[in-house]
Amino acid sequence: MDLSNVIQMFGNPLTALTLLPIFGAILLMLLHWLSNDQRREMLASPIRFVNFSLAILMFIMATSIGLQETFGLAWGEYLYQNCQTGEIIEGSCALIGSIGVSWHVGIDALSFPMVWLTTLLIPITMIVEWNAKKGAYFHSLLLLMEGALIGVFVSLDLFVFYVFWELTLIPMFFLILMWGGEDRRYAAQKFFIYTFAASVFMLAGILIMYFNNPADWSGNITNKSFDFVLMENSTGFIAAEGLRSVVFLLMLIGFATKLPSVPVHTWLPDAHVQAPTAGSMLLAGVMLKMGAYGFLRLGVTLFPEQLVEFQILLIVLGMVSLVYGAIVCLGQMNLKRMVAYSSVSHMGLIFLGIATLEPLGIAGAIFMMFAHGIISPLLFAVCGAFKHHYHTLEIGSMRGLAHHSPWMSAHMMVGWMGSLGLPLMAGFVAEVAVLIAFYMAFGWWVLLPAVTLIVTATYYLWSMQRTIFEGEGVAQLPPTMHGDKPRDITWHENTGMLILGVLAVVYGIYPDFFGMFEMMSNWASLLVENVLLEVRP
Amino acid sequence: MNLGTLFSGPDMASILMPEWILILGITAMIIVPNLGNATFRLPIPNTSIRIPYLLGGKRFSFTGDPRLPSAIAAFTLFASFITALLSQMIDSGVGVAEACISMTGAVNECAISDNYILRVDPFSRMMEMIFTAALLIAVIANMDRLPATSHKRLQLEVQEDPVAENRRLAKLLNNRRQVDFSLLVLMVALGMSTVALSTNLFSLFVGLELASMASYVLVSFHKETKIGPEAGVKYFIVGSVAGAVGLYGISMLYIWNGDLSIYGTGGLAEKWASEGPNGMAIIGLAMMLVAFGFKVSAVPFHFAAPDAYAGASGPVAGVLSTASKAMGFVALMRVLFGVTLGDGGNEWTILIGAVAAITMTWGNIAALGSKNPKRMLAYSSIAHAGYILAGIAAIGALGPGAGSELIATAIIFHLAVLVTFKIGAFLVVSLLECEGRGHEISHFHGLARRDPMIAIPMMIFMLALAGVPPLSGFLSKLMMVSGIISSTVGDVSGATLSDAFGSLSWVFWLAILIFINSAISIFYYLRICVVMFFEETDRSPRMSRAPMIRIAIMLCTMGAVVLGFGVLADVLAIAASDAAAALFS
Repeated sequence: MDLSNVIQMFGNPLTALTLLPIFGAILLMLLHWLSNDQRREMLASPIRFVNFSLAILMFIMATSIGLQETFGLAWGEYLYQNCQTGEIIEGSCALIGSIGVSWHVGIDALSFPMVWLTTLLIPITMIVEWNAKKGAYFHSLLLLMEGALIGVFVSLDLFVFYVFWELTLIPMFFLILMWGGEDRRYAAQKFFIYTFAASVFMLAGILIMYFNNPADWSGNITNKSFDFVLMENSTGFIAAEGLRSVVFLLMLIGFATKLPSVPVHTWLPDAHVQAPTAGSMLLAGVMLKMGAYGFLRLGVTLFPEQLVEFQILLIVLGMVSLVYGAIVCLGQMNLKRMVAYSSVSHMGLIFLGIATLEPLGIAGAIFMMFAHGIISPLLFAVCGAFKHHYHTLEIGSMRGLAHHSPWMSAHMMVGWMGSLGLPLMAGFVAEVAVLIAFYMAFGWWVLLPAVTLIVTATYYLWSMQRTIFEGEGVAQLPPTMHGDKPRDITWHENTGMLILGVLAVVYGIYPDFFGMFEMMSNWASLLVENVLLEVRP
Repeated sequence: MNLGTLFSGPDMASILMPEWILILGITAMIIVPNLGNATFRLPIPNTSIRIPYLLGGKRFSFTGDPRLPSAIAAFTLFASFITALLSQMIDSGVGVAEACISMTGAVNECAISDNYILRVDPFSRMMEMIFTAALLIAVIANMDRLPATSHKRLQLEVQEDPVAENRRLAKLLNNRRQVDFSLLVLMVALGMSTVALSTNLFSLFVGLELASMASYVLVSFHKETKIGPEAGVKYFIVGSVAGAVGLYGISMLYIWNGDLSIYGTGGLAEKWASEGPNGMAIIGLAMMLVAFGFKVSAVPFHFAAPDAYAGASGPVAGVLSTASKAMGFVALMRVLFGVTLGDGGNEWTILIGAVAAITMTWGNIAALGSKNPKRMLAYSSIAHAGYILAGIAAIGALGPGAGSELIATAIIFHLAVLVTFKIGAFLVVSLLECEGRGHEISHFHGLARRDPMIAIPMMIFMLALAGVPPLSGFLSKLMMVSGIISSTVGDVSGATLSDAFGSLSWVFWLAILIFINSAISIFYYLRICVVMFFEETDRSPRMSRAPMIRIAIMLCTMGAVVLGFGVLADVLAIAASDAAAALFS
């Protein structure tokens, strides 16, 4: 491996975007851990600032990638792809060349929104929980999380993809375990075991793909490769129909658990409720999207026939998630749990959007990932602030929030309106796109999801009425306040929520802001044109 | 063999450099700790000229230091490791990459016609490195397990009080035990290296017994405990019976062929390929498999293994489950592949396949139910032996070729990376043993809170054993399964699923069984992780200091991580692939 290859590998902005947060976070944690007690006190806030500035730097880098390029890429083309697959022959980006693992990163219109969203959310979570206990570790873990998440979205080698996929579990596990609520131990265990077990299915699928992906370059002793682009470009990749279905279903199990879809969703409410605010913001904002991203990237792109074959299964999963999530929300007394179940409900729409096989539906699903990634962190930030200032999460234990905490109420309103799909909010664009595509594909069956959205509106409005208003001029404080006078949210919580709220509105009015909806619909139409069109009935 | 030729010429010296270093180390181990200020008075009347002859008397503070034997052993093993490594990495005068030593002691290129007894090739060098690395880690860690009393603090006068006298003797004994232990470890290293080099059943057996005898003593080295000697005796009896059966098998092969060389003119391989085996040869081979099966703890011969592991101290158990097992596999591969693979149709493959299937399943199921972490690790070691045996059966069924080479690469890679995470896991148990615990799973409760710098490595070892990517345990399983599947399935494109499954060789199902067993094994590995992180404990947070064990654990952790992902994994995989190529050449 000569120097130019190394530069080619590590001079890639995506490599920096992935590895800089990971190594930075590990170094900062080690620095704090190794210093003595006195110095630890001194180091705490510099480490916090370094973490934050690294996160901002990542955001600037991601934004500059977005500003430079228009993402009107051809199908199967990636920006900043550091190795064309053929070039691995010269060892340019072989990581474990002998078994066909390469450091192959690239970004396209599917992954860019997710990367940008990640870099956007991390600084916001840091601001919102600026004063977290043991902040040096807390913020470093968030930064580590950022690197792992970006790694998932940019890696085009399935081995590396899987490694980053599992790496995201570790910081989240510790975030829940160390900073979570009363029942954190159980939640962290459940979260870890559920998602770990599910990803074993995914790994089995990846291995079958690996065994069928020939790559004949020197130094490769297995003659197989994990390279995704090779799989994408090879004709007749896994020719046996039955095997393709097996792989597709294995992938579906892995990704549906992460998404989560209904039969395998039960880890989510526990993890969300017990996680610290920043943790649940990231869980809902980005980690759930990993499932949808993986499904689009691996499931849909590589196995379009199986997508058509299992279309009904996807619709059933999506519908059940949508309806079940909404109905369970109606009965929730815990604010965070309600928001968590609303996530289940909204993720159902993603499956519905993909199952339409229409460009608009897929674009809508991708936009749903993005919009939900802005709105649900806002909701969890509000929940966290509510818990922080009112020491409870019970809906209905207090009335007339607006009297005491006008800012918090305003953010709550914005979040809930966005989530229930109010026009001119980001969530509306996604829902409408999915529903129109659903109509195009299945006609009047569209009434099923459309009616469910009314339930969504019901539970949000009902809990809004019970929490924010209905005080008749005087607030009714929850018993957990012990007669203290509640305060409004702090300035840093406010800053984070404001950014998210403004973005939710901006993307509702102008979905093309920063080229987002355009690049998503471009990607979706290319997907349909190049992959789905031949197999669509 | 003319003994004189062993020492003649520079070739012999450079080829067997790692072994010479071990022999030098053994010599130094015998002499150096005994050096003292003893003098010899010349028997001339009226003079008092004393000539110091150094052996005995009051030892110098340097030679009496209890850390000295371990230091000598560690240095010897390290030097042996480095010479073996250098001889492979750079083509210099240090060691020779490939050469053979014939019956007469002549050093040659390895020609097919010559029947030689020792063969130096990438395979044997790789195995030497594995053995010495495992023993090196064990020696480093063991410095904390044999309590050292400084020479300066020893009382030399005989005490009147019997209790004090006993204590004094115990301390003296302790000091000597360092030498015993290190000497035995070096013996094990020499025996194992001989096995790695041998291409003659006789020298192979001698090496095997040298290593075995020394390891029997090592197992029972904890003589002050109750289970230590018991484990040693059990291990010794079963082991010597297995060894005797193996020797009987060798003698039957000798009757059949009249020559014990594996390769070369008149060697076993030639006869096997040209005439085919008769009943005696097959029975002889089967009897040898018993001896090797005991070494690798394959299932019908595994009964002593959990007891031996539980009774031995952590580092020794680590050696048993890595280096000693690797030695068994080296012998197994040399004999089976060397003798029978040229034939094509191999009678033993179904047998080995069945043993492999039973071994891995039994090991995993027993590990699920065991409460003692060491026994759990022992059963997991049995399960791993099953995976490797499955690979060997697959090679036997496939015959020489690219697929077989890949599987052999996987086996060698697995044996190499086991040195990191298997010994590491035993060392963590050993650290708990320092405070008198570690024999129950409940002793792991809350380890993460007590000492995260031990719990996190332990988690890494457990995940590596379970084969979770990106740790090194994953790569070996991946290569193994990939080798078996790609060479049995072949090209499935175009075929329907039922067609593809219908035409599969039975070996394919071994790969599936490996996969299923790995999935089962995750439960008991994760159980350790779960209790470390989630259970409460009322023990004080301070663990034993044991700096050497901690250093060894750190080494193992780094190894388990860097050998699984990145450039070093690649280097090791390529080295293993070279070794596999040499095995089949």
